[in-house]
Amino acid sequence: MGRLLKLREAHKTDAPATCSVLWAHDGSHLATSCASDTEVLIHDLSAPPPGRSGSTAGSSPVVLRHHKEGVTAIALGPTAGPLASGSFDHSVKLYNFPVGSFQGNVTRFTLPIKSLAFNKSGSLLAAAGDDDGIKLISTIDLTISRVLKGHRGPVTGLSFDPKHDYLASIDSFGTVIYWELSTGKQLHTLKSIAPNYNSDSSVLNTLSWRPDGEMLAVPGLRNDVVMYDRDTGEKLFNLRGDHEKSVCSFCWSPNGKYLATSGLDKQVLIWDVDLKQDIERQKFEERICGLSWKPVGNSLAVIDVVGRFGIWDNPVPVSMKSPTEGVVLNEPHSLFEDEDEEEVLGKGISCYSGSLDDSIEKGSGDFSPISRKRVKKRGPSFDEGEEVLQEIDSRKRRKESENKRGDGEIRERAVRMQDAFQVGFTPPQQGKRRFLCYNLLGCVTSLENDGFSHVEVDFHDTGRGPRVPSMTDYFGFTMAALNEKGCVLANPCKGEKNMSTLMYRPFGSWANNSEWSMRFELEEVKVVALGKNWVAAVTSHNFLRIFTESGLQMHILSVNGPVVAAAGSGDLLAVVTHASDCLSSGDQVLEIKVFNINEATQTISGRLPLTPCSHLTWLGFSEDGRLGSFDSKGNLRVYSDQFGGSWLPVFSADKARKSEDENYWIVGFNATKLFCIVCKSPESYPSVMPKPVLTILEFSSPLASSDLGADEVENEFMMTNLQLSEIRKKIKDMEAFGLDVTALDDEAFSLEVKLDRCILKLIASCCHSDRLVRATELARLLSTQKSLKGAITIVTASKLPILQEKFSTILEERMLDDLKTPEPIPTGRSNGKTAYSVQPPVRLSPMMEKSPDLNNRTPNTIKPQIKSSPATETLKLVKARYSTPENLAQGEDISKERELGSKLEKLATFVKGKGNATSEVTGKDVSSSATGNVKPELKFPINPFARVKKAT
Amino acid sequence: MAGQTDHSLSIFSAAEVEFIAEDEMIEIVPNIRMDALNLLCGDFGPFLPQIPCTVPLWLAVALKKRGKCSIRTPDWMSVEKLTQVLEAERESPREFQPLPFHYVEISRLLLDHAHDDIPEVYMVRSLIEDIRNVRFHKVESGLETISGRTHAVKLKNLSAMEVNVVRPFMARVLQAFYKHDSPEMVQQADTSASKRPQVVDRGPRVSLSCVTC
Repeated sequence: MGRLLKLREAHKTDAPATCSVLWAHDGSHLATSCASDTEVLIHDLSAPPPGRSGSTAGSSPVVLRHHKEGVTAIALGPTAGPLASGSFDHSVKLYNFPVGSFQGNVTRFTLPIKSLAFNKSGSLLAAAGDDDGIKLISTIDLTISRVLKGHRGPVTGLSFDPKHDYLASIDSFGTVIYWELSTGKQLHTLKSIAPNYNSDSSVLNTLSWRPDGEMLAVPGLRNDVVMYDRDTGEKLFNLRGDHEKSVCSFCWSPNGKYLATSGLDKQVLIWDVDLKQDIERQKFEERICGLSWKPVGNSLAVIDVVGRFGIWDNPVPVSMKSPTEGVVLNEPHSLFEDEDEEEVLGKGISCYSGSLDDSIEKGSGDFSPISRKRVKKRGPSFDEGEEVLQEIDSRKRRKESENKRGDGEIRERAVRMQDAFQVGFTPPQQGKRRFLCYNLLGCVTSLENDGFSHVEVDFHDTGRGPRVPSMTDYFGFTMAALNEKGCVLANPCKGEKNMSTLMYRPFGSWANNSEWSMRFELEEVKVVALGKNWVAAVTSHNFLRIFTESGLQMHILSVNGPVVAAAGSGDLLAVVTHASDCLSSGDQVLEIKVFNINEATQTISGRLPLTPCSHLTWLGFSEDGRLGSFDSKGNLRVYSDQFGGSWLPVFSADKARKSEDENYWIVGFNATKLFCIVCKSPESYPSVMPKPVLTILEFSSPLASSDLGADEVENEFMMTNLQLSEIRKKIKDMEAFGLDVTALDDEAFSLEVKLDRCILKLIASCCHSDRLVRATELARLLSTQKSLKGAITIVTASKLPILQEKFSTILEERMLDDLKTPEPIPTGRSNGKTAYSVQPPVRLSPMMEKSPDLNNRTPNTIKPQIKSSPATETLKLVKARYSTPENLAQGEDISKERELGSKLEKLATFVKGKGNATSEVTGKDVSSSATGNVKPELKFPINPFARVKKAT
Repeated sequence: MAGQTDHSLSIFSAAEVEFIAEDEMIEIVPNIRMDALNLLCGDFGPFLPQIPCTVPLWLAVALKKRGKCSIRTPDWMSVEKLTQVLEAERESPREFQPLPFHYVEISRLLLDHAHDDIPEVYMVRSLIEDIRNVRFHKVESGLETISGRTHAVKLKNLSAMEVNVVRPFMARVLQAFYKHDSPEMVQQADTSASKRPQVVDRGPRVSLSCVTC
């Protein structure tokens, strides 16, 4: 700050003299004194100044003329405590502050007073000067409680430890003494650590505890400020910089983060103590001998040696943390009652005292109006002005109500049923554009401007999406849903006049004016959703209203409770409602229903699971039509048909989060990944500008940490299993409709291969950590014989003959199972298990029989009792495979079989080319070879879980 | 190499260096949906709107020119990072700060083609300019210290463009010194070209005479 601060004359002096300045605790008054002036002045800053505001006090100050000689020191008690002044006339006097009425003489010395200090609670006043000894005076009855003797020279600086354990004092020789208050003993004596001003009485050595009491600042010998440890008195570090002469005065910012220092070189520097660097400076005409931070806000009062003072606004650059931010207050003081700690409760600055219940969530949003409950004032009171008392009282009141509010809010929030929300919206922000809807396709944004808004629709894919002209919205839309064909907008009702309106805008239509809107009287649209050729709105009457794309009112249903959210995709509409009030544990009870609009059916109905004490933040369908929900604790659940329809947790933000300050704002998901926008805390919503960029996160099951140490593989195993079951279900569904499933088959097949690879890896790590039973179980899950052989190779390489044998047995069983065909094949083997004899014999397409190439694949580990020519055996295998009851149950038809047959042929030639690849020994090689090998058996739909059951 | 410039030792022109730098990878945010591109240099994509993916710079610039994507400014190109680098460069006269090998070319390309994607583009431009100047100055002042005793020069974190500028000169200087250091070479030079006494002069004069001969 280059410009010179304008100082205003307060005290008249002939020669440079030590002056002091102090702020009142609420920043409304300023007290000044000067060693060559008998007056103490109290300037009222709150009164509107006639001249320039801010820099100087306006109205005429209160003048206290009680001393006979110059006032050398002033000190102010806590909160609204008394003002003390010490003088060359050897007396210490007390006044009411800020009224200025004289309260009494505290004590008398034999020599001039040089320094005064109140302790944090205001119960003790320390006074010292040229006398031998520091007097500790109880302010309650004005008795001298202790005299601390030890300094050899005039004591010029005193400072009470904010934790009330110590008193630190400094004399003009530069010696610092730590006193223990409870005993009055000298703890540490640090000799000549500060400049020696014994010859120069105009400069007083000073010292000061940091507000948290952790360190003591003392001017150093090398134009610096040195920090000493609270307990040991050891030097911690120093602040050295651009002071060209010794530092004569300093003051900690209320939060202890900054230190203002003034030097004999007439400079004032502001230091960031953590960085040990000066951040701001100002040069003055005269030496500044008194500094005081405003307890609230970012101002510094300074006074120079000729008695002129001024207020430096924003000494700490606005870009940095405020000097009062996070003010630490501790130690309840004895004068007032325990709860009523002193606190600096300022205008717009949230300061909370440390001993309040920590669990109270502070400053969280809109509070209810402060209760005006009058709190009884207890404890001994001073004979002070009514104002002071009132101030204390009001402060107490405020705090108590805060206390209550904080407590109440937590409870309230925990049990509150969440309101309806539109998926993909962001809350309104003043003057900023916000999302009404954001999905993987595009977004609808709105900017409020003079009572009406501008609504814009943008598609992410600028190449393909239609261009939509922006729209001026006179309704005040707050909800929107968007798909390729159009968007629906709705507004809540705002009073009588402004009814709730639903508007649909198609993006392309062959007719003009195909936009339509609906109005709702005495009813309010809560959420909207959009699907293929339909628009849905759930209202405050718990009606689910369904319109066609052209605005025809098709259906009106009643939903079970107050709606929470709705999402649509294709024919499906998911609606989440409250099923009942919250549980006492704070969990919400939500219910979900999924409707198929075109067929007028209900496909899913049940509870929507949530993480305890969380609320739903997102609901939607993936591109392939899977339903998912995301809650405020960052868990994504996907609906699956497994176990008769259940929700599987597939993602947890806690696990995925790289750093603490990331919030995931979900946009969508697909089979394996989650699309979200990463917001840096404290933001939990993305902003429209700059355009948010999606981040892709992989799914991960909330697996317990297992002894295998192969978490990733286990996760992959789970996920692949899930995917596989989804695909199988889809194949089944499509087959039921008689649709072509080739593409899905291929996909399922590659998933099976992936799963096998995964299982092989798991087997390898099981072998590694000696989990043989688990390895066997895993081996049973393998879907192909080739993979099984790979597994055998792994265990062979791991030198586990037991497992090798087990696996061989499994393989054998598998082959025997395969051979157990319903139609007795002439192999001479009969183990009496011809359970499948009802199987019709002709289920094979002729093509399959023409695959002698498969011979090559006949396993060499197979036991010798299977004695048949390779060709017939393969045939049998193939036959067996495609005539198992499972296949029958699935209603496999001939066309499907034919198709499989052709695929088999293809595979057979492929396998032939591959040759036998079982010579690899390492797990990795085997797994890769396992994936490379393609088998006809893979077409067999295997439920891995069913296998597990069989195995156990 | 085709299109080579005059010197035998200067390998590339600035444009050529830039061409090489276009193979560096950069993140883009496409605003179109496009299948994966299977190119000789690798497969890129698939491109999905608003989902970042990594492509070579040349492809990024090509897409950007067609308005199909926005380019994400690399981390090191933020004002904050560049300010740090610039300060560090100024503070340490003997070291170079680690920057991408092709920082000059990449920043140039991005400033030319994707200036609307760079936050505080003017600041970035001037910072990069400053960094470049400081570094070139350092290189130049470093060259002054080369003497006959120098057998190798170790320059860490030098970027492509900087290397390209100093390479011809540096290599020839070192060669020349080497030549003059080994006695038989000096003799040869002595008999053939000059009548200077056989005192090994390590001053820059020698290097100059050598460069000219």
